[in-house]
This record gives sequence, structure tokens and C-alpha cells, in this order.
Amino acid sequence: MEILLLLSVFVIATCGLIYELVAGTLASYLLGDSVTQFSTIIGVYLFSMGIGAWLSRFFKKDLLSWFIQLEILVGLIGGISSALLFLLFEHAASFRLVLYLLVGLTGTLVGLELPLLMNILKDRYEFKDLVSRVFTFDYIGALLASLIFPLLLVPYLGLIRTSCFFGIMNVAVAIVVCVRFKQEVKWATYLKTKAIACIAALVAIFFWADKIMSYSEGVAFRDPVIYSHSSAYQRIVLTRSRLDLRLYLNGNLQFSSADEYRYHEALVHPPMMYSPKRSHILILGGGDGMAARELLKYPEVQQITLVDLDPAMTKLFRSNSMLVGLNDSSLLSPRIKVINADAFQWLKENKQQFDVAIVDFPDPGNYAVGKLYTTAFYRKLRNALTDSSVIVIQSTSPFVAPKAFWCVNTTLQECNFQTIPYHTYVPSFGEWGYVMASPAPLSQHHDQLPAGLRYFTAATFRQMADFTPDMQNRKVLANHLNNQILVQYFEDEWGKYQE
Amino acid sequence: MAIIAGSTITASQYIACSEKRDKYGHITSRISGASAKAGHMMRDGVFHTPTNSTEYDAVIIGGGVAGLAAARILHHRGMSNYRLLELESHTGGNASFGENAYSAYPRGAHYLPIPNTDNQPLLDMLAEAGILTGYNSNGLPVYSETDLCFDPEERLYIHGRWQEGLIPQFGTSKATQQEMKRWLDEMLQLRTVRGNDGRYAFDIPIANSSADPAFRELDNINMRQYLTQKGYQSEELYWYLDYCCRDDYGAGIDIISAWAGIHYFASRKGKAANADNSQMLTWPQGNGRLVQHLQQFSKDKTLDQAIVYKVTQQDNRVAIDYYDMKEHTTHRIIAKACILATPQFVTQRLIPGGQYNHDFVYSPWLVANITLDAIPESSGYQLCWDNVIYKGKSLGYVYAQQQQLFQQMPARQVITYYLPLDHLDPVESRKYAIALEPQQWVKLITDDLEKVHPDIHAVIRDVDITVWGHGMIRPHTGFITGAARAAAQVSPYKNIFYAHSDLSGVSIFEEAFYHGNKAANALVDYCS
Repeated sequence: MEILLLLSVFVIATCGLIYELVAGTLASYLLGDSVTQFSTIIGVYLFSMGIGAWLSRFFKKDLLSWFIQLEILVGLIGGISSALLFLLFEHAASFRLVLYLLVGLTGTLVGLELPLLMNILKDRYEFKDLVSRVFTFDYIGALLASLIFPLLLVPYLGLIRTSCFFGIMNVAVAIVVCVRFKQEVKWATYLKTKAIACIAALVAIFFWADKIMSYSEGVAFRDPVIYSHSSAYQRIVLTRSRLDLRLYLNGNLQFSSADEYRYHEALVHPPMMYSPKRSHILILGGGDGMAARELLKYPEVQQITLVDLDPAMTKLFRSNSMLVGLNDSSLLSPRIKVINADAFQWLKENKQQFDVAIVDFPDPGNYAVGKLYTTAFYRKLRNALTDSSVIVIQSTSPFVAPKAFWCVNTTLQECNFQTIPYHTYVPSFGEWGYVMASPAPLSQHHDQLPAGLRYFTAATFRQMADFTPDMQNRKVLANHLNNQILVQYFEDEWGKYQE
Repeated sequence: MAIIAGSTITASQYIACSEKRDKYGHITSRISGASAKAGHMMRDGVFHTPTNSTEYDAVIIGGGVAGLAAARILHHRGMSNYRLLELESHTGGNASFGENAYSAYPRGAHYLPIPNTDNQPLLDMLAEAGILTGYNSNGLPVYSETDLCFDPEERLYIHGRWQEGLIPQFGTSKATQQEMKRWLDEMLQLRTVRGNDGRYAFDIPIANSSADPAFRELDNINMRQYLTQKGYQSEELYWYLDYCCRDDYGAGIDIISAWAGIHYFASRKGKAANADNSQMLTWPQGNGRLVQHLQQFSKDKTLDQAIVYKVTQQDNRVAIDYYDMKEHTTHRIIAKACILATPQFVTQRLIPGGQYNHDFVYSPWLVANITLDAIPESSGYQLCWDNVIYKGKSLGYVYAQQQQLFQQMPARQVITYYLPLDHLDPVESRKYAIALEPQQWVKLITDDLEKVHPDIHAVIRDVDITVWGHGMIRPHTGFITGAARAAAQVSPYKNIFYAHSDLSGVSIFEEAFYHGNKAANALVDYCS
């Protein structure tokens, strides 16, 4: 009988330390700066345990029943703590407050456990034996927890399952004590029922842990996540709603299937109308194959060279049937050559010249991507063009980020390109901008557009090239490697918009 | 460059190394760079008189920037029968560089500020190297965009976070900010001030600076005295200028003269069509890029691992005796003239009757190239080219891969850590440095970096250490205007020419280049 209670001490001690470790690890995962997180979590936790120990004096009778109640509560709160924190991370206004409240609550309950148990056992043991045994088992439990947590639990179970598992252990202690001491325990049936319900809940969370993880990522997105993959270069996420399929790269929307045709038709057809020759086309970026799909509508296009950094992207858009449906198998066409390479690097070594180049990079939101919008880059790109080639650059939103947009235009002009900036409305993006450019003066060479376009017409293009006063040309600097001014414009303007 | 070792002082006197050795157990390290052994051989070796001799028109002793620049002039002025003798197995001196699977990296000097537009010889060399691509309609130089330091350039770790720029701002008082502005305005004004001889008060090369005593007397006080006299009080300003002096001269404001301290700011009048005055030209291999260009003029004419131990006069010619470390033999070269592109403590040892004046003081340095899995993120401004720690022991680190164009970063990163060894006087610092084992350097460097990047030791893979025993000439109080420097400008022999940045009193590329050019031009004039 005593052995059983001492085993409970052992289990309790292990569970108690695990909750603390889980909270510390989770806080460092989600908030960063592991030293601060761990040290504040441990501090709050230990202090709360002190509060728990102090509170134990107020429990005077029915100690065994209270102990069982306590075990169930610790098991439940400790067990769901990490799942809860993952879920709340996106929602809670002050995540730290929630975190410390939860840690404080768990700590207080854990702090109550041993004093209560010692009160229960005080009549069954000599005091010195009691202290010695209880603390021996307590510290052994702590050692076990601190060893298995990094070696087994985090790598094999993950945080959500680890805390669930130890929650279940806590509640199991309650059930065992309840059964073993049924004569001494009041409200035994009620307690047993409660404990079993808690175990059921924790088991459920244990098995749905993966779903919870992806939900917690999913709330960063509007719709359920159907695919997510971290490639060597970026995090690729696909979401699916009743209406559309969306692609996000590093959390930034790349397209919605509901209106991407607007974006891609506006990207591809103007330079095709303006380029005298159009047999050899270069796409930089555009690994989703949508721009290629538009290009393949022209019979005179002999070869498309698509250079995209990430093989994971081009592979996904070549193999997934839903996505292949979206890009009309463009990446499988015999007329396309897909190269997975860094655009700057590739241009440095390229010898070929192209009639049209479609430049569809992510927005210049960081200094690495910003390099692909500099005079240095456009001068390299110029070497891959003839004197009459036409290029187009996706250039972020002239409405949200007019300075960034006009900066792309100015940068191209500084590299002696003639430009036609234009824009269109893409519902999922908002007002979106492009800059068409050529080493030669730009004039329209073709009237005939391919059949089957849903949005773009020559008449539409005339509107596109017109800028309302709120999107008018701003006085901006050209983007150089040694000023990266575009990234600063972009951050200032989009930062304001997102606040 | 040689490191003169003194008595053996055990490293443990300085660093308790026993604690937590395992923390660094996974980090590989080695000390490379200037060979102390070769330097000591030159100093202490007993060599057999050579029995054979070869003849050349000219010989350059020393393959640092001054020597390499001199070779370029000899080539351009039509000489071809010359040799360059270098102690190390490679030329480049302070601008040497290394390379691993992930990046090239500097072992010393790593940038060139936008040059002054009247420094035509330097501009011509940069044009020749393809770094200066032309001039705009206003006559301003256009630099190759990929050779200019990419943005973001500089950040400072202060009060627990990184701020943009090196001038302390985050968490500073209004009074400090006003003093900073006052200081910068003062420097801006001094940049264009001319002395009573019509020359700029502070110019590059230093030889072009005004002789006006009103400015020259600033060499008689140290930088701290100057700041106090001018009524500056801000702790952050004093730190900033101490940092600047340590950065350029390897010693702080208590040692460096006010003239030299101001020169750092006021001499740079560079302009460019496509860069600001404050910007830099830099490359992953640092000034190794410039060295690589200069090396072509002595490529087939360099004798490396050659310890020159004696330079004597012989029938109106110069006899240069050297020891070939590869063959273990001694040789003599007879030349019409020679350039000693060596620091004074070497030069004076080589020439007959030479007397090394101990007013020439050299700052020892440590440069460590650290290969790591990733540079840890930390709060505040993002990773920059130059990353400095407020009140740090070191000058922080430079992230050279910043200068790469590609989206995909190599699997590992290389940062270059700069530590002026100025905690003791130069002689003691040198003894200290030479006594340390690589693992002890690793601990010292990592512990310093952990202050801004806790747990960085876990991602560090390799540390490539370069110790510069005599890294930089030190413009201590009175040196620039002093007798020692003036006396060393010209050799006592008409067929021997000196070329080294220590003759200027500041160790910068422009000065080494200037002295190399000057000596080579004088040599060609002498020979023809």
C-alpha cells in the first residue's frame, strides 16, 4: 500500500518536471531566445509551486479525495497545456500572459501534490522515514524526466503528445489510488468517472496531435492547409477552400486559382504583343508553370527556358494532378526546358539570347530577393536579350507600395531600358503592378491575341497603362546593391498597410 | 611579416582553459598566416655566404601591397628584368586571404573606402582591375556595383539589441546624440579645411597633407585629450572614437594621436557617381581582390619563402643575400637597385649600419575566420556586412558572404572576427599571442561572441586563426610629425628605395600603394 503511494510520488515528480520542460521548450520554439524563456518559465513554475505548497495548509479533511481530484486536474491541465499553447499562439492578444498563467496554474497544482501526499502519509510513517522516502522518489522521478525528455520524448513523441502522455499518467495515478483506497475515498464513483473522461480527452488529443499542429499553422492562412512542405529554400503551403486553391511561399500568397488568370494573362500577353520576335522565351521564377501556360498558347513560341530556384516547386507543379490541371501541364510540355538554378548565377553563365523574358520573382521583402531587382541584375539580364527583346517585371502593388513600384521602373530606366509601367486588378492580391521594358523604344507589333483568354484584351491594356492620381509616379531612387532602397520602400509601405 | 617571440609565457597565465573544454570539443582550429618561424630565422639565423650570384636590373624585397604595387609600376614603365622576394609562401601581406569550401575570406585588410578623386594613380589601378568602370558626365568615377559594399552595411549591438549603423543611437541620451552630431559636423568641416600652404589639412596620402603647424600640433596630444579639450563628454562618443582608432590603428584613444584620429574621418573626401562618400569597396576575400590584380605583375618573377638577410653595396650595385627555405641554400642577387618594401624593423636589420628606431611601434592583431552552420538570429537590426559590439573586446565580425549575389546561401557561413591585441603593450601582447594554442583562441573568441549570440559555440565548426605580430604601424602621439618617421623616408643609399605604409604612419592600402608607386618610380628614374 505504502509502496503504491510512493510510486505515485515518483510518477507525480516525473510529470511535474515534464510540464515545466514542455512549457520552456514550447516558449523557446514560439517566442525564441531560449535562455530567457527557460529561465523565466522555471522561475514562474517554481514560485507557483511555492504558492501550491502554501495553499496545502487549507486542506484539512478528506485529504485522499482531494488528492485524487488534484491528480485529475493536474493531468488535465498539464496534459492539454502544450496543445492549448500551440492553438492560442495565433489568437491570444498577449501570448506571454496566457503562457505564464498556464505555467503558474500548473505549478501551483503540482506544488500542492507533495505536501498533500505527505499529510496523507504522515500517520503511516515515522516523520524521518517519510521525508526521506518521499524526497528520494521525488528526485529519482526528476532525474528520469530530465533524461527521457530530450532523448526520447521530444524527438519521438513531440511536445503535444509528450504532455498528453504525462497528463494521462497523472490521471492514472488518480484512478489507481481511487481503486486501491476505495473504502477511504469519498465520492469514489464520481471521481472515477471524471478521471476516465479526462483520460479519454487526453487520448483523443494524443491521436490528433498532428491535426492540431497543422491547424496551428493553418490559422496563419485563411483556409485549410492541404499541403505543406519545407524545401531547401522556402516553405510551400497550399490551402483549399470551397472556392479556390491558394499557393503561399513563406506565408506570402502567390496565387488564388479563382483569379490567377488575371495576374498571369496581364503578366505575359503585353510583352508578347510588344515583342517583334517571340520564339525563344525566358521565364525567371514562375515555378508554378502558370506563366508558361500562357506562353504555350502561342504557336510561334519554340522554346521556353524556365529558371526557378526551387526544384520542390517545379516538381510539385509537374506531378500533382490538381496543380497540373491548373497550369495545363505546361511544365510537361516538350517546348519547355526547366532549369533549377539561381537566376543571378544562371544569367552569369548563360550565353543564349531571348526574345521575351518574364521576370516573376517574389516581392522584394528581404535583402536577398532585393538583389534580383537591382541595376546589377538588370544589367546581367540585358546580356541575355537582343536589342529588340521585351521583358516584364512583376513589381508589387502600385496602390499599396507606389514607391516600391516606381522604384522598379526607375531602376530599369537607369539601365537604359525604355519602359511601360502598367497595372491591373487581381481580387485576391488587390491592385497589382508590372513594368514592361525593352532596350529599344516600345511599340506594339502584334494585334492578334491567342484564343481562350478570359481577361486580357488590347482594349484592357490601354486602361492598364493608365495610372490614377493615387498611383502616380513618385520621385524615387534607383535600386542598387549598395543601397537596396527598394527593400526599404517595400517594407515601409507594406508595413504601414499591414498594421 | 614576422612575429618576434619573446620568452615563453604559459597561456594559462592569461586564460583559464580547463573549464568546460568539451563545449568547444567539436570545433576544429589552426593558426595560419604570417610565419613566425621565418621571421625568427631572419633575425637569428646564421647563414653561409652565398657562393653563386645572379644579376637583375631591380629587386623588390617584400610582397605586401607596397611591394606588389612597386612591381606593377616597374612593369608599366617597361622594366622586365626584376624579381620580387617574399618571406612567406605567398604574396599579399596584410591583404592576404584564404578560402574554404564555402567562401573566400580575408586574413587581414578587407575593404577600401571610396578613394579621393585626386588620387589618380589609385583610380587608374582600380580601372585597370575593372573595379572602376568609367566616369560619368561630371567626371565622377563609376564603380562596379558588385564591388561596392552591399546594403545593409553596418549594425551595432548596444543595450541588448542590434541597431542600424555604428554610431551609438539606441538608448542614448539627447545630449549624446547632440555631441555625435557636433562631432560629425566638425569632421565634415575639417574634411575640406586647408592649411596655410594651400594643402588639405588631412589628406591621403599623408604626404600630401598640410605642414601647417596649426594642424600638425594635434599630433602632440592623444585623441582623448583632444576630445576633452573640445568639451566632449558623451561616454558613447568616447567609445565610438576608441573603436574607430582601434579599428584603423590597433590601439585606442589614449595612445593614438589626435591628428591620426581625426585623419580617419577628415582625410576621406572620396566621391563616386554611384556611391556615397561613406561607402566601401569590398569583396569576399577582402583586399585580396586588389592583391590578386597586383600579383599579375610579379607572378613569374616572385621568389617565395626567400629570407633576405643582408643587403649590401657592391661596386655601385646592390647585393641581396637570401636564404631559400625550400632548398635550404643561400643565394646572392646583384641588382642595379632595389626596393625594400619591408617594415622598418626589418629594413633596418637588412641594410648596413641600419638602426631600428623604436618610435616605430606596431600593433599586434588577431583575425579569425569562423565557419559556422548559420549565424544565429538575434533581436534588432538584421545581419550586416560589419557587425560591431558596443564596448566589446573585439571589433566584432564581418560577414563577407553578404557580397554574394545568389539566393541560395552556401551550406555554411564564414564570418571574419577582428581583435586588436591592445590589452597589453605591443611586446607583451605579442608574447601573449604567440603562446596561445588554437583551442585557447577558440575559447577566447567564442566566449566573446556568446555575449551577443548565446550558444553560438554549438554552430561553430571551424576557426582559422591568423596572428599578425606586427599588424599595423601605430600612429601614437608624436609619431606622424616626429623625427623617426621623417628620417626613415629616404634610405642613405642612392640605389636603395623604401616602400612601406609604416613610412606614412598609418596602415592603409592607399598609403602602401602610394609608397610602392613612389619607390618604383624613383627606381626607374635612377636606372635610366
